[in-house]
Amino acid sequence: MSKKLLFVSIALLAAVSLSACSGGPIRGTTWPGLAADDNTAYLADGPHVYAINLKDGQELWRYPANSNNDLAFFSTPVITADGQIIVGSAGSAYSLVALNPANVDPETNAPVEAWVFTGAQDHWVAPPLVVGDTLFAVNADGNLYILDLQDGQSNKQAVKSIPVEGRLWAAPVTDGERVFITSLDHSVVAVDVNTYELLWHEDVEGAVPGSAVLGADGMLYVGSLASQLIRFNPETGEHSPVLESEYWIWSTPQVDGDTLYFSDLEGRFYSFNTETTGLNWPPVQPDGPITASPLVQSESILLATESGSVYALDREGKVLWSQDIGGKIYTTPVSAGGLTLVAPLEADFYLAALDQSGRTVWTFTDEN
Amino acid sequence: MWDLFVSLFTSVLLWIYNLLGAGPHMFGVAIILFTILIRIVTWPLNAQQMKGASAMQNLQTDKEWQDIQKKYAKDKEKLAQEQMRIYRERGINPFASCLPTLLQFPIIIALYQSITRALAVTPLGLLELSRSASAFSFLDVSKLIPLNSKFLWMDLGRPESVAIFGFGLPTLAIIVALTTYVQAKLTMPATANPGDQSAAMSNMMSIYMPLLLGWFALTFPSGLAVYFITSNLLGIIQYAMQGKANWSSLIPGRSKQQLAAKKSK
Repeated sequence: MSKKLLFVSIALLAAVSLSACSGGPIRGTTWPGLAADDNTAYLADGPHVYAINLKDGQELWRYPANSNNDLAFFSTPVITADGQIIVGSAGSAYSLVALNPANVDPETNAPVEAWVFTGAQDHWVAPPLVVGDTLFAVNADGNLYILDLQDGQSNKQAVKSIPVEGRLWAAPVTDGERVFITSLDHSVVAVDVNTYELLWHEDVEGAVPGSAVLGADGMLYVGSLASQLIRFNPETGEHSPVLESEYWIWSTPQVDGDTLYFSDLEGRFYSFNTETTGLNWPPVQPDGPITASPLVQSESILLATESGSVYALDREGKVLWSQDIGGKIYTTPVSAGGLTLVAPLEADFYLAALDQSGRTVWTFTDEN
Repeated sequence: MWDLFVSLFTSVLLWIYNLLGAGPHMFGVAIILFTILIRIVTWPLNAQQMKGASAMQNLQTDKEWQDIQKKYAKDKEKLAQEQMRIYRERGINPFASCLPTLLQFPIIIALYQSITRALAVTPLGLLELSRSASAFSFLDVSKLIPLNSKFLWMDLGRPESVAIFGFGLPTLAIIVALTTYVQAKLTMPATANPGDQSAAMSNMMSIYMPLLLGWFALTFPSGLAVYFITSNLLGIIQYAMQGKANWSSLIPGRSKQQLAAKKSK
C-alpha cells in the first residue's frame, strides 16, 4: 500500500469513527421518551415524535414530517388538559414545541405547531410540569423557564427564568404550593408555584438524575447517585438520608401508599416503607441494571431492565411473570388502554404493547 | 476491548480531574495534563518519527540520491527501485516519519470518546460513564459527576466559536489548523527535486492534516481541540529543543531556495 493511500485510508477511518460518535438526530443517542392517553401513545424517539394508535399499533402522525438537525426528541412528551403535546428537543435548535394533534396537516401528516419556545441554551431532557395555565420547564442549561400557556404567543417568551445551576434532566414535581427541581449538580431546589421565588436550595452528596417524589407522609423523597434515598421537609428543605442503597439510584421512586418502590443501577429493586423508614423485604434482583422507574399497577408492579426484560412482581417482591422483550429497556413503561407500553433501544421495533400477562399484542417500528 | 481502552482513558482523565479539585476550568486543565502524559507515553513513537524525518531530510542533499533522481527522472519504476535500494542500504524506513503520526489516530479517537463520555451530555452517556468508572475502581465517580465542562470561554462538550460582530469565529479550529501546519512544516524534509515522491507526500500531508484536524476541531467538542493544540505545541517545542526544527520551511518557497543555493555551492 502506498503512503498516500495509507494516510488517506486512516484519515477517512478516523473521520468516520469520530463522526459516528457525534450528536444529531440519530436514534439511539439516548433512550426514548414515552407517554400515552387512552387512545394514543406518543413516542419521542430521535428524529421524530410518533403518535401511535393503541388499538393496532399503527402510526397516526409523526413530527416533524422530515427529520432535520434542529430537532431530536428523547424527552417524555407531556399531554396537556386541552390535548396539546408538549415535547422538548435535544437538537441544535434547543426548542420546546407544543403540537396540536387535532390539527394535522393532510399533506405532510404532521401536526401543526401550537407554539415554539427557543429561549433555552441547551438540550431539553426533562419533560415540563403543567400547573394550571403555567408551564415549569427545566433545561440542561441549568435554568427553570416559566411559560404562560394562555398568552397566545406562537413564538413563546418565558415569563421568567430562574437559574438553578447544574444540568436539569428530571421533570419538576409540585405539591400545589411549591415546585421541586432536582439537579445533576448535587442539589434539590424548591420554587414557589405562584410567586416563582426560590424558597430553598439544598446540596446533597451525589447527582440526582431522577425526579423527586412526594410520599404519602407529605415528605419529599429523592434518590441520588451517591446511593442514598434522601427525605426532605418540603417546606424548609431540611433533609437527611433514610436509606443507603447498594448502588446508584437513577430512577424516580414510585409511591404506593406508605411504600416507595425504586431500583439501583446494579439491578436491585427496593420496597421502602416511609412509616418505618425500613425495607419491607430484602431487595430482589432481576436480570439486569434498572434505570426505568417501576410501574405501579393495581395487581402488580412492573419492572423493565436493561437486559430487555419486563418483570411483574407482587407487593411482596415475588415474580408473577417475566417477558423477554429484546433490546435494552431504559424508558419507564407506560400503562394505557389496558396495555403496557415498552420502548426498548437496540430492538427490532420501537414500541411494544403487552397485555396483562406480558404477551406482545403489537409492535411498532418506523417503516420509513 | 476497544471499550476497555476508552474506559481506561476516561478513568485516567477523571482521576486527573479529581486530583485538580474537580472545580471550574479543571477539566480543561485535566485534558492538557492528560495530553502531556500521552506525549510522554508515545515519546518513543515521536522520537522514531523525528529520526525518520531527519534521515529523509539528510537524504535530500545526498549526491547519490540526487543523481538517481536525475538519471531515472523519466523511468518512475526504476527510480522507485533505486530509492528502495538506497533506503535498504542505509537502514532508512521511509514510513518512519509518517507512521507514528498515523498511529496516533486511535489515541485521538479514544481521547475524543473519553472526553465525550466524561462530559456525558445525554442520560445514556452518563450511564456509560458510570460503567467506565466501574471498570477501574480507583475512583469514586459518583461524587465527581457531572463534570464541570467550562474551560476559559469554552464549553468543552460543544464545538467552540467566539461571537464577533454577530459572527461565530471558530478560533480554536483556526489555532488547531495553524499549529498543525507549523508542526508539519517544521518536521518536513526540504527538497529541491520536484519529482521527489516522498517530498510531495510530506507536502501533501502538511496541507491536508491541518485541514482535517481543523475540521475535527470545528465539528466536534472543543475538548478535542484543546488536545490537538496542546499536542501540536508540545511537538513543536520537542522538535525545537532538539535543534531540528526547520523554521525556514514555514516561509513558502524558502526551503527550496536554500537547497538550490546549497546545491549551487
